[in-house]
Order: sequence, then structure tokens, then C-alpha cells
Amino acid sequence: MNKRVLSFFVIAFLTGCQMRVLNPKSDTADTLTNLIYLSFGIMMLVLIVVFVLFVYFLRKFRERGKAKFNIPPDEKENKWLEITWTIVPVLLLAILAVPTVKATYDLTSKVSGSAGGSKGDAMIVEVVGQQYNWKFTYENGKESYDELVLPVDQEVQFRLTSNDVIHSFWIPNLSGKIDVLPGEMTKLSFEPREEGTYQGKCAEFCGAEHTLMRFETKVMSQQSFENWVQEE
Amino acid sequence: MNGMNVPFIGEVPSDIVVSWIVTILLGAALFWWLTTRRKWPLVWDYMTTTDNRKIGTMYILLSMVFFIRGGIDAMFIRTQLAIPENDFWVFQSQKYNEVFTTHGTVMIFFVSMPLLIGLMNIAVPLQLGANDLAFPYLNAISFWLFVAGGVIFNMAFFFNAAPNAGWTSYAPLATDTFTTGPNNNYYIFGLQVSGLGTIFTAINMIVTIFRLRAPGMKMTRMPLFSWATLITSFLIMIAFPVLTIALLLLMFDRIYGTSFFLGEYGDPVYWQHLFWIFGHPEVYILILPAFGIFSDVISTFSRKRVYGYTSMVVAIALIGLLGFMVWAHHMFTVGLGALANSIFAITTMLIAVPTGIKVFNWLFTMRKGVVRITTPMLFSLGFIPTFVIGGVTGVMLAVAAADYQYHDSYFVVAHFHYTMIGGTILGAFAGIYYWYPKMTGKMLDEKLGKWHFWLFIIGFHLTFMPQHFAGLNGMPRRVYTYTWEDGVFLLNFVSTIGAFLMGASMLFVAWNLYKTHRLTDPVGADPWDGRTLEWTVGSPAPEHPFQPVPQINSIDAYWYSKVERKRLPESEEARPSPIAIQTVAPVLLAGVLIVMSVGFIYGWVWMQIIGGIAALGFFIYRVFNDERKAVYRKEEES
Repeated sequence: MNKRVLSFFVIAFLTGCQMRVLNPKSDTADTLTNLIYLSFGIMMLVLIVVFVLFVYFLRKFRERGKAKFNIPPDEKENKWLEITWTIVPVLLLAILAVPTVKATYDLTSKVSGSAGGSKGDAMIVEVVGQQYNWKFTYENGKESYDELVLPVDQEVQFRLTSNDVIHSFWIPNLSGKIDVLPGEMTKLSFEPREEGTYQGKCAEFCGAEHTLMRFETKVMSQQSFENWVQEE
Repeated sequence: MNGMNVPFIGEVPSDIVVSWIVTILLGAALFWWLTTRRKWPLVWDYMTTTDNRKIGTMYILLSMVFFIRGGIDAMFIRTQLAIPENDFWVFQSQKYNEVFTTHGTVMIFFVSMPLLIGLMNIAVPLQLGANDLAFPYLNAISFWLFVAGGVIFNMAFFFNAAPNAGWTSYAPLATDTFTTGPNNNYYIFGLQVSGLGTIFTAINMIVTIFRLRAPGMKMTRMPLFSWATLITSFLIMIAFPVLTIALLLLMFDRIYGTSFFLGEYGDPVYWQHLFWIFGHPEVYILILPAFGIFSDVISTFSRKRVYGYTSMVVAIALIGLLGFMVWAHHMFTVGLGALANSIFAITTMLIAVPTGIKVFNWLFTMRKGVVRITTPMLFSLGFIPTFVIGGVTGVMLAVAAADYQYHDSYFVVAHFHYTMIGGTILGAFAGIYYWYPKMTGKMLDEKLGKWHFWLFIIGFHLTFMPQHFAGLNGMPRRVYTYTWEDGVFLLNFVSTIGAFLMGASMLFVAWNLYKTHRLTDPVGADPWDGRTLEWTVGSPAPEHPFQPVPQINSIDAYWYSKVERKRLPESEEARPSPIAIQTVAPVLLAGVLIVMSVGFIYGWVWMQIIGGIAALGFFIYRVFNDERKAVYRKEEES
């Protein structure tokens, strides 16, 4: 059973390169994907150790014909073994914790830091989430609904708020989520690196038609973006 | 198809009409069966009992009923999600929201909790050498409050008002501004009433464990299930009052127009803090007793003492403690800031350490043992790899920045089903097969038990393994459909097949129950060759079984007495014996609280007043009818 599960995990993960979260198209999403692979690698190590011991002990010590009435002697726990499986996980977690904290600081200061925190040339898009659509307002006042248009290779900062309940803004290819709260403003920024059309979704359950609260993100060349944003 | 015109009532969705018909038919069949088999005296006996075994059995029986309910909801969810752009029966939009809200709430509060509490009721006093829980009457109250909560919550569906804001009931969606109608009032009162029962159970367990252990059974000689119960009870005592307060505030927002969670002075994030300060310890409340069951089962069927007893106890305590310091990992995307997110990421990762210690200790308990694969052992063995997968995805989720991607996606859904089913439900099944002789005096059929296990575990992995990948491909949770372009069709389709396999496995349980009770003979006191005190008393466990009380001189005392071919010595010291009575008062209290709750749910003030006066009357009645007074007086005189 374990082998089956394991191979399924591995194969499915290798084919996962097409999966949106693992197919990053922005600087932010890139960092997140690397972090996901790192944590996955460390955790696979743990998983393999446990599975190997599990299968080995089970095969070796399973009750067989003549062992049926054996009473195994009591054993005192080995102090060194106990210390090993306390210290090693701590070390593994430390290896994981350092990049975690670093990435969390890098990305989160962007998420909710002051506007001055980002480079001055970031393009600003105001986002309003409401049951059940998204409104985007660009710097020149142009508005669009459920369609977000961004220029490639240009840092963009979103300032998000909600008109009603809590929503969550998510473009899996481009960045992680940030919640959209009523009466408050949250922030998120990233720099798209490849032209294309990406799915955007509301990730926080927000009522009857939460499912339909989706939008499309079109990343296009600087020139096409200029044309689009100037259009009436 | 979606709506039916019922005479005198009006337009009603067809799923509700079907459930009415099914309920009436099943109710009639049950009534007929009870009457022709002359079972009513037995029902009355159970309704008025304060015996821990009977109450525990009722807990488990009722949780299985709710398990069927929650399971059918899961089938509806999986059928609706089987293919893209599906329109199954009525389960879209708000109806779908009602189904997943009910599924989550029922499975957590009315299946997992009472399954474990039922097993505690049956096994803990027996493991300790106690004659009952410390407060048998309070125990009956706990059980009937759970029944009342379950009835209130399930009533919602029959009156076409099922809660629809998710089992987490986030504000402001759950306030009356955004979800009008009685729906989410049902959620509040269902959980409030049953939560009270849970708190009483925790008090009962703590006092039982501290006061009623057999002579010589030091804390350091207690079986690990009893240890897990003790620490779980402390977690309940701290966490559940927070839920009580959160629900009270939400109730005031909904019913009396306060604004704790929205408006100028309120904040919806308060709800999330309160809910998860309760909610995260809650998942440890659900997993620690299961850990205890696995420890006892693995030790018994490896014919060895549990490896690293002390570190096992320390690990449970550490998990319990750390469990209170991690709640904000449910809120990484709220924007609490980098510092808060980093701290909560690290505390969350730390929980992996004591959990890892436990896993290795279980593995080393098997090492050099004689591993006998019975049904309870099979469930424990299935647990280890399954739960470790759930554990490692837990660490992945703890990586705060990466969680911005996983959060609220199907990756999370997969993770918590791996821990909750892979841990709690497998643990409960292991416990039920293991202690079934103590409940009923019979042993469940091993062959059917193994069928149950294999179908269940294969179905489980088929259902939830693909959901990790659906999440990574951008599928948010709590959506009722998806498109072909989303690229998650195959993953969802496999998931649906797995879910039906799990459903099918439960048919083997039904068959097993039937076969066991019709065709097999009762078993003796110790059918598994056990190690702890519950196997010294008859099957089923009689009321007040330890007379005289055994003297305990080591861990697993019963096992060593068998090895040395001696009887357990009897103790001269007496322990206070809790007083059993027959009383219908707990049932009446449950009825009164249902009346009062319905009054609040629909805002009928006259009904609130009647229910309130009756509840108050109950307390006054109890003050003058305490069965312990006479006994205490006698004790003082002698």
C-alpha cells in the first residue's frame, strides 16, 4: 500500500509542472514555488525514513507460526535513539524555518507594508471585492470588472478592500492569496514575467455564488497595455 | 425537480421532501421493531441510566447515526463535483453551501467528538480500576446535552434552514446582515448546547483520573489512553469556553443587533481569532485520544510494553501545550504582518517534533515484538503512514509564505482529511473493534472487519490524495463546480470514486453488526490477550466491576500477572464508589433546552421564557434531589 501511495505521490508530483501553483509566472510566485519544493523535499526525506522502518519492522516482526506463543522480553528504551529522533527533526525544521521566515518577511512586507515600502515605480491598481465580482481601478481612473489587465515586467501593487464580506484575492500563477476585508485595506505586489492569460479566483468562502467569483488576468506587452488602458 | 409543492406547507426543495419521507418510513420501521421485539423496557433502561458503559455505548451509537448523515452529505458533495459544470439534483449555490457546512460541523462536533468521548466513557474507568466516572449523574447530563445539540443542529435541515456559512462560520458572512433567516442560529445553538456537555465531560474525566485510580496505580503507571484523555480534558476545559464566548457574541450580533464582528467598532477578524483559539486546540482534542488508542492497541498486538512510555506522555503534553500557540496559522492570509506570521509558522513546525517522537516510539514498539494483525491493529497500522502524510503536509502548510498558495485550496482539504480521518476516525474504528467486547460482550467478525479496513483505506487515499494536486492546480475549497479549463476533472473524478468506496466499506460494518449479534457467541473477559485492567472484568463490563479493587504494582499490571501466572492482588484500601441511579431528569433537561433554543432560533419570546423557566426549575429540582446527600450523611455518621 505504501509503495503504491508513494509512487503515486512521486509520479503525480513530477507531472505537476503543469500545475498552476508550480508554474510560476512572476517573481513572487517564483519564491513561493521554490519554498514549496524545498519543504516538499525535506518532508519526503522524513516520509521515506518512516515508510522504510514501517515496512521493515512489519515484515520482520510479524507473528509467524512458531512465534505465536513467544513473549518478547521487555526492553528499556534507548536514550540515544530517543535523542536522535528529537534532534534530527529539529535540525530539519531549522533548515526549513530560515528560508520560511526570510520569504515571509520579503513577501509580507509587500503585502501589508506601507505604500512607500515598494519601489516608487510600482503601478497601483485598486481592487474592490464584492458579492460576487471584482472591480479593478487603474491609475488613470479606468475601471474594469472581472478582467485584470497588467503590463509584463512591471511591478504592480494592489490595494484591496471589500464592500461586504471577506473575500480572498488569488492568481495561482502569479502570487499567493491576500484576504480582502471590509473596512480595511490590504496590499499585495508582484511583477509578472510572462505574457498570457491567467485564472484569478476568490479563495475565501463568501456566500451563495462564491464559486462564480472569478476573474481573468491578462498580462500583455507594455505597449498593448498602454493602448488598452487609454481606451474609453 | 428542484422544488416540490407540498400541500399546506408550500414550495419545498425536493431533497427535504425525500428526507421527510425517509425519516417517517425509518421511524415507523424502528417503532415497529422496538414494539414487536419488546425492546421498549431496554430503551427506557438506557434513557434513565447513569452507567458509564451504557452511556458510552449510546454516544457511539448516536455518532454512527450522525456519521451516516455526514457521510451522505459527503456523497452529495462528491457527486456534484464528479464532473465539470455538473448540475446534480439540487446541490448548487446555497444548497451546496448548506451541505458542506453540515458535513463539516456534523463530522467534527457530532461524530468525531462523541466517538472519542464514548470510547473514553467505556474504557477510561475500566483502565483505571474505577467503578464508574466520578460524577455519573453529570455524565448522563453531558450525554443528553450532546443529544440535544445534535437534535437542534439536525432539525435545521428538516425545516429547510440548514446553516450555510461553513463550519467555521466566519463573520461577517455569518451575521444577520449577510445571512438572514434562522439558518445560522441553528449552528450557534446546536454547538452551544452540545459544547456545554463536552465541558462537563472534561471535568468528569479529570476528577475520575485524579481521584478514582486503583490503589498503586500511580500516574506513571496509567495506560496511555487514560493519559491522553486527561490531557485532552484539560484542552477541552481551556478551549471550549472560548467557543462558548465566540458563539455568544455571534448570537448577540445576530439576534440583538450588537456589532462585535462588523460595523465601525467591530471587526470580523475578532471572530477568526476567537474561533481558532478554540479551533486549533480542538483538532488536538480530536487527535490526542486517538493517539492514546493507537498506543494501547499497538502495544497489545506487539505483545510488548509501549516503547518510551515517558517520552510518549511528555509528547502528548507538549502537543497539548503547543496546540494553544498556533491558532493564527489559520489566518496567514489575513495580513497580520510578517512578525506574527513568522512566529506562528515556527511554533506550528515545532509540533512536528513531539508528533515525530510518538511515531518513532510506535514503530519501535513493534520492533522485536510479535506483531499480530487483528482488525484493531490493522486500523492502527493503516494510521501510521496515513497520518505521517497528513503530518508532512502540515509542516508544508506551516511555511507561512508558501501557505499563501495552499490556503483555502483543496490542498488544505486534503491535509485535514488525512489528519482527521487518518488519525481520529481510524483511531475511533480501532477503538470500537478493540473494546467492542467490553461494550456488548461479543466480538466483531474479524474477516468482515478486515474488508471494512481495506475498502476504507483504499477509498480514503483515492479520495484525498488527488485533492492535494487539485489544490495545487488552483481549485479553491467550498466551490460547487469547476470548468473543463481548470484541469482538475480527472483528479475530482478519482476522488469521487474513492468517496463511494469509503461509503461502500461502511456497508461491511452494518453487515458485521448484524452477523455478530445474530450468529456469534459471547466472549470471555480477555479475548485479545490484553495488558490493562479493562480485560480483567467481564464482557460486557458489569456496573461497578471492581469489587474488590485490585492492587497495582507496575505498568500493564494485568499482563505481568498473566506472565507470572498469578492473580492480581486485591487491595484492602477502598476507593470512593460513585453512586448509580435511574433518573429521567437528564432527558427532560435536554428537552427543555431544545425548546428554549428553538425559541431563540426563531425569536419566539414566549417560548424562550417557558424554556428558561423550565431550565431554571431543573436546577432547583436538582438542588433538592441530590442522590449523594444521603450517602454522605451515612458516611459521616459511621
